[in-house]
Amino acid sequence: MPDRRSRNARSAEARRGVVGQPGGMTTTSARPAPEPGGPAAEDSGGHAASESALELTGLRRTFGDKVAVDGIDLAVPRGSFFGLVGPNGAGKTTALSMATGLLRPSGGRALVHGINVWRDPVAAKRVLGVLPDGLALPERLTGGELLTYWGRFRRMPAGVVADRAAELMRILELEEAEELGTLVGEYSTGMRKKIGLATALLHTPRLLVLDEPYEAVDPVSARVLTAILRRFTAAGGTIIISSHVMSLVESLCDRVAIIAAGSVLADGTLDEVRGGRTLEDRFVELVGASELGEEDLAWIGG
Amino acid sequence: MDRWLISLKLTMLRHSTPGMRMAGWAIGGALVVVTWAAALNAGNDAARHSILTLGLLLWGVGTAIGPVLMSGSGTLRPGYFTLLPMSRPVLGRGLLVSVYVSVAAGVVLAALLATGVHAVLLSPAALAVAVPGAVLTWILLVALSRLVYGLLGAAMGSRAGVEIASIQFGLMFAGMFAGWIPVQVAIERTPDFLATGFTDAAVARGLDLSPTSWAVLAVERAARGDWGGALLLLGGLAVLAAAVIAATIPLLVPSAEPARRRRGRRRSARLVAGGGWLPATPTGAVVAKEVRQWSRDAWRMIETQSGVWTGVLIGAFALASEDLDGVAAFAGLIITFMVGISACTVYGQDGTAVWLDVVSQDAGSVRADVRGRQWGVVLTFLPKILLVSVVFVLLSQAMWAVPILLAAIPALLGAATGAALIVAAVGVSPGVDPRQRVGPNDAVGNITFHVWIAMLLMQAAVLPTGAMVLLHLLAPAPWTAPALVVVGIANGFGAAWALGRVTIGYLDKRLPDLYSRIRYGQVFRTDDGARTGWAGALDWFESSTLKGEQQAKALKQKQREAQRAKVKV
Repeated sequence: MPDRRSRNARSAEARRGVVGQPGGMTTTSARPAPEPGGPAAEDSGGHAASESALELTGLRRTFGDKVAVDGIDLAVPRGSFFGLVGPNGAGKTTALSMATGLLRPSGGRALVHGINVWRDPVAAKRVLGVLPDGLALPERLTGGELLTYWGRFRRMPAGVVADRAAELMRILELEEAEELGTLVGEYSTGMRKKIGLATALLHTPRLLVLDEPYEAVDPVSARVLTAILRRFTAAGGTIIISSHVMSLVESLCDRVAIIAAGSVLADGTLDEVRGGRTLEDRFVELVGASELGEEDLAWIGG
Repeated sequence: MDRWLISLKLTMLRHSTPGMRMAGWAIGGALVVVTWAAALNAGNDAARHSILTLGLLLWGVGTAIGPVLMSGSGTLRPGYFTLLPMSRPVLGRGLLVSVYVSVAAGVVLAALLATGVHAVLLSPAALAVAVPGAVLTWILLVALSRLVYGLLGAAMGSRAGVEIASIQFGLMFAGMFAGWIPVQVAIERTPDFLATGFTDAAVARGLDLSPTSWAVLAVERAARGDWGGALLLLGGLAVLAAAVIAATIPLLVPSAEPARRRRGRRRSARLVAGGGWLPATPTGAVVAKEVRQWSRDAWRMIETQSGVWTGVLIGAFALASEDLDGVAAFAGLIITFMVGISACTVYGQDGTAVWLDVVSQDAGSVRADVRGRQWGVVLTFLPKILLVSVVFVLLSQAMWAVPILLAAIPALLGAATGAALIVAAVGVSPGVDPRQRVGPNDAVGNITFHVWIAMLLMQAAVLPTGAMVLLHLLAPAPWTAPALVVVGIANGFGAAWALGRVTIGYLDKRLPDLYSRIRYGQVFRTDDGARTGWAGALDWFESSTLKGEQQAKALKQKQREAQRAKVKV
């Protein structure tokens, strides 16, 4: 089943022709980019295959007068673990929404494995697994019911859905809540993140786009999450996460982009962006910081 | 402390919608006037006794359940004070006292003082009993209202709360469609009641047992010179009020225990994921999800149940009237009609959860979603429609209505699922996102326009069945009844298919726009010029509902700014 899906996606890619490498890309991933489920090189034939799992070109979104995303260019090489960092309101979620087909861009384009998300959404969405931040789910289903619904809605065979749902619930430690009949609407924030991740993984996507996946997740679950994500990239999948926890991005990602006020301020491998310092120092230097003055809050502490 | 809580409460009341408050005062004032007028116009002392005991019992019931029906911003919720350094009894007393300071409580007191009319007419000296009697009854009733509220939990928290709210909505709709029937019955019977009161001694004795009647009884005893008996009754009221207050205060203070709820039996994830009797197709998945949402989401439960109660109440009204009892057989058909209105916000109910549809868009996924939602509506409503129909056909003995119902219910239900889905998709009205919803009305914007369009579409879609019904009634022949049923069923499937098809065609291209309207309150589309024909009509409905939502939002923003400006001045 997953094989059929990825074959479909690849043939769609082949049909559409393959997009050349953009000049703006900082570096090409040094490592080879294997495909989960089989080699892809043959499919691409003699074309210069797009090496990017996700490629944003001049992507722009305005809300009235406010420019939320200001023509960003980003290329995420296949097989990379990519961290998108930025302060609150930088445009991370807006950019990722446009990349995943949730928000129509005002300009520019988003390619997922060479497929234009807004021209051929069906083919692009087969490759994508998405965990949005702060959106509703079918709140009145239990986690298990949600995964069952989701898998079958995605045309997966019932047996596969049942096995994967049970395994995901077990590994993500949501089994007890399921036994108690806890509804998704009653889940804690961390549990919501976990069940959201399970929906993103269920159909074996090749590109995972995760908006704040670690938010409110306890340290033990975070370890499990990291192990899952590492296994996903080891199998050749690509992950993009957004976060404002610098240490987390530093420990996980091999590539980083810093965005603020809708623009990309830095983009490249982790070491290129850090330039010998910590990511946080570099981030604060680029974004700017407001200091706490000597006389501010002098009364604090009694 | 108590004063501080009262002033906090008055401040919150000032922030409630002025229109609603005015309407509440006007209705409450009118009911007080009616109570006093009835007491003054009674034919004799016995009739006045009947009127007062019945009237005060109604006031008692109204006071007890009123706050559940309209838990407004005037309520101080115990949760607000959890973190304050304050002892529980002090807070409980403050919260209870604050309940007595409100317009609604004042209205209740004004009505209860109608007992004074009785006293003055019997023997003015009995007024000395009537006033304390009214005040004690008032203390009892207001405390009782908090007790009931506390026991039922917040109106939305429990199944009982959902049902009460649904009955209220049902009454409202039934009143709009058929309210004249009970009014007519009442007009026919009121003069007799005012003149003579209850002629049935058992009813009168039963009413006397209610504590709301004790003040009236005490007044009568005092008028007869039995002051001891009067004091005894007042004492009984005081003891009862004290007992209710003692039971209420612990419920008013914040509970330190976490609310633990468990749904049904324990189950395993494997069972959930594997089982189920629906086909393991995308459409089957949507149906399973939708049926669960309809039976578990408080807001959707209110949508279903208020439709059901509308039908049941109109049926009951019709049964009460001698000329119209045949109409009662169509109670189930009225519910079917309400389906089109109840379900015309299904996408808005999902809120931003629609992202799941967007990111999983696939060939046929939109079709599965629309068809699955239609079947979900059918599976949710049809059993209730059938049950109510059977009961009311039997009660009204109108067997002639059976073939009409067998044709009209499937026809109208099919049309309703189709019309509701078009309106829900093209005119999506999101309201507050599911996670932030507190009350049932959080989920809807102004959907008057949606309801009109849904009703128009339904009526147009069932024209063939309507024509057959006319033929069957005007020129009955042996073949018209079976033909009617066949036409009705075919009409239902046809309407559901065709209207669903329109929705699928629309959403196939505009699924991201549906999400945009929910998430961002606007549509981001730069392409296509004006379209014509059906597509043009859809575009018109889309843009006018969107404009309506945006205008409502802008208006609210303006009001907020105006209020802020006022506060600054």
